[in-house]
Amino acid sequence: MSLDSEGQKRREFMRNSLTVIPAVTLAPSLLFSQSSDAATPPLHQYVPAFFNEEEWEFILSATDRLIPEDEHGAGALTANVPVFIDKELSGDYGQASDWYMQGPFHPNADPVFGYQLPHTPAALYRLGIQGARHHAKQQTGQEFTDLSSEQKDALLTDLENGRADFKAAGIPDLPSATFFAFLLQNTREGYLSDPMYGGNRNMVGWKMLGFTGARASFREWVTQHDVPYPLGPVSLAGKRG
Amino acid sequence: MPQYRNWPVRLVLLAAAVSAAGAAMAVLGDSPTHSQSSISTDSAANPQLIKRGAYLARAADCMACHTREGASKEYAGGRPIESPFGTIYATNITPAPKAGIGEYREQDFAAALRQGIRADGSYLYPAMPYPSYASLSDDDIKALYAYFMEGVPPVTEPAPETSLSFPFNQRWAIRFWNWLFVDDVSNTSSANHSSDLSGDRQQQLARGRYLVQGAGHCGSCHTPRGLFMQEKALNDQDGDNYLAGTELNEWQVPSLRGGDSTGLRDWSEDDVIDYLATGRNRHAATGGEMTSVIQHSTSHLTDADLSSIAAYLTTLGATDKQRVSPAPVSTPPSHTAPDATTRQLTSATSLDEGARLYLDNCNACHFANGRGADSVFPPLSGNTQVNADNPTALISTILYGAQLPSTPKRPERLQMPGFDWRLSNEEAASLASFVRQSWSNDASRVTPEQVAEVRQAHGPGKPAQQGRPDSLDHAREDAASTPPSN
Repeated sequence: MSLDSEGQKRREFMRNSLTVIPAVTLAPSLLFSQSSDAATPPLHQYVPAFFNEEEWEFILSATDRLIPEDEHGAGALTANVPVFIDKELSGDYGQASDWYMQGPFHPNADPVFGYQLPHTPAALYRLGIQGARHHAKQQTGQEFTDLSSEQKDALLTDLENGRADFKAAGIPDLPSATFFAFLLQNTREGYLSDPMYGGNRNMVGWKMLGFTGARASFREWVTQHDVPYPLGPVSLAGKRG
Repeated sequence: MPQYRNWPVRLVLLAAAVSAAGAAMAVLGDSPTHSQSSISTDSAANPQLIKRGAYLARAADCMACHTREGASKEYAGGRPIESPFGTIYATNITPAPKAGIGEYREQDFAAALRQGIRADGSYLYPAMPYPSYASLSDDDIKALYAYFMEGVPPVTEPAPETSLSFPFNQRWAIRFWNWLFVDDVSNTSSANHSSDLSGDRQQQLARGRYLVQGAGHCGSCHTPRGLFMQEKALNDQDGDNYLAGTELNEWQVPSLRGGDSTGLRDWSEDDVIDYLATGRNRHAATGGEMTSVIQHSTSHLTDADLSSIAAYLTTLGATDKQRVSPAPVSTPPSHTAPDATTRQLTSATSLDEGARLYLDNCNACHFANGRGADSVFPPLSGNTQVNADNPTALISTILYGAQLPSTPKRPERLQMPGFDWRLSNEEAASLASFVRQSWSNDASRVTPEQVAEVRQAHGPGKPAQQGRPDSLDHAREDAASTPPSN
């Protein structure tokens, strides 16, 4: 993968920012969040177990566009979403270990019949990333990761609408829309699932929603009307965000 | 009374007493004798008698010691009872001739129960509560004998021999201890209840007293012990120490006398009955050694006997010590203004770490007012174990949870999950300190070191992981596996 110096710098900046962003955006609710920092290393310290370096760069770039950091709250990178996806693909989910994976396979089956492709999620990601990068090269002559935000969004929209031609990349049996659906779903999961699965670092996804996590104890709030709920979330492992 | 792990070290002084016992032998004569009683030697047992004996064996919870935990063969002994002097193994009391007590005549059986003397003339260790059983009536001894001879299947495997090191292996010296601390069989005089009570009530109180002091041997755990491991009072005529509460395995054993905040002051007779029958009531849920007592013994007693026990216990007054510290801790009625802790937890503002941990971990069941729910979630406000001087029981319950016994009237084994996987030592200490100093509670703070000690004693081999998400066990490789809905 060839990288020009500008792309290199942008990525450096993005990675280095990751340690700063949570501290800035979450400062008001830091009182009890110290304990949750230690267990989860920031994204730039993470060594992927499933993705190779080029795939990893793609996942960082793509998830950052699917849930960007903005005025509403933390983005996918702050939430360690790529870590979540890497971990789930290197585990049972990646191997489809509890799915029915015998034929017949029907890539064009109606969605009501569920997943009908021969690929495990792990294989699907490898092929999908290969197809998406090929599509980016075809359309722009550049690596997906080196494009502007607008260009990335346009390419992701192509994937979502099935307009990216994966067959041209030598992938006959994976519709680009299917790959996009996996990527979007897993990005959401990584953003909103319990931090013990690797994503939702410091419960930033829950904080954005105002979700309180695994507290399950609101009896005394039934009768308190028009009072903002003051507590941050708690994770399954008892960490306080 | 399965474990006396924490018999105070000072009791090793007993060793010194043993040497003095030699001199005493001269005074006492030289061979143990069974005291004479009206027990007959004929062994014609009828089914009613055996049934009554079985009931009495429940009341006396013989099984607690004489059946090994998890063993299928009842009364075959072998349960290890730890003491500072070494391990005492409960004996096989099935009617097997050699391994058990099959060759005991009824008077031998009576002497073992009431005087601690075996058929071969040697002395039982006072881990056997013969000082309490001394008050058993001849009729009850007869029924128990009938049950153990004809109602219990013989088990021919002998229980392990108890072999303590010198000087505690000198069983003859126990005779001296008995002479000092054990009353005669004649200890059956009834308490002087005021004469304006009805005859029925007097009869009920007498029955309760008999069960509590005799078969129930409640004092074995609930009466403080003295320098030589003797119970400081064996009955209500013996002083205010009787059932005044103590500590066992670092758990607070509550006083059964009224008037003390750790006692039964706020308990009605119905509360006592509920507790003994089901292990739960509006004040408390049982824990520690009492769980087994309720499961195997008191939950099998008749309503009439439980009523008698409850009636009798309410006649025990406060001790002198308890009288000078009134400090009422009664739960406030719900219509009064909420206390500071309830207000703090309800608004969920100005929380220190302990309060925040309470909301995150405890509040769903024990609630902001710390009062829990009648017979389901025990109240923490005014709770004996929460307020105990020694916080071990509270820490242990927070870390490893608790489980109620299954009883005929309330079969569900309600469980509190353990939180050892969720709380660091520092966090558990903050949380325990919070509950010990909130609502009506007023106990000392807990340190992380105290939590660490409880974890150490519990050992890593048997972590209580009820409630722990499975995926925390593996490094989470197998994460969310929902396929996308495309």
